[in-house]
Amino acid sequence: MNNRLRMLRAERGWSQAELADRLEVSRQSVNAIETGKYDPSLPLAFRLARLFAMRIEEIFTDEA
Amino acid sequence: MSYLSANPAARRYFLRFSSTMGAYVVVLIAVITYLDRSHPTGWIVFVLAILPALPIIGIIVAVGLFLAEQKDEFQRRMLEWALLWGMGGTLATTSVWGFLEMFSHAPHITPFYVFPLFWIFVGIASVVLRLYYRGGDE
Repeated sequence: MNNRLRMLRAERGWSQAELADRLEVSRQSVNAIETGKYDPSLPLAFRLARLFAMRIEEIFTDEA
Repeated sequence: MSYLSANPAARRYFLRFSSTMGAYVVVLIAVITYLDRSHPTGWIVFVLAILPALPIIGIIVAVGLFLAEQKDEFQRRMLEWALLWGMGGTLATTSVWGFLEMFSHAPHITPFYVFPLFWIFVGIASVVLRLYYRGGDE
């Protein structure tokens, strides 16, 4: 699954560690999601969407 | 240590693991010393033989509690993968060795070594997973 996390994070000037703190997860988790190596659960995707005040589909896009 | 201080589940796991390992060492030394000095017979030997295994079972419980308490889903998934690789590696190795014992007279290895073997595989899998998911912040 593709995502715009890196871009959204850069727009806000947050490091991976800062985003991780806001989500209450590890920096490794943020990195794995950003690089598309790990797809977050629905609850974590909602937390991300809420944090960026966006809809999940605006952050994550189906690869197909 | 920063991971431990930032992650309460990891901190609790570390405390449980170290106290259980501490108990294992104490119980093992106590049992060996008692058996060596007193040469007991009968049911007491059976009980004494099982005693050092209890902290080992405690470690399995500690890992289970850590999985249940770990709130970081990605870290939990990493451990689950490592444990699955550990299980697969251990089952494969012990199966192959079992047949080697049966058919090619390989030396018998006590099942006691299955537990450390499992953790060796878990350790290797953890390192491989960490390397795969390693990523620096820009």
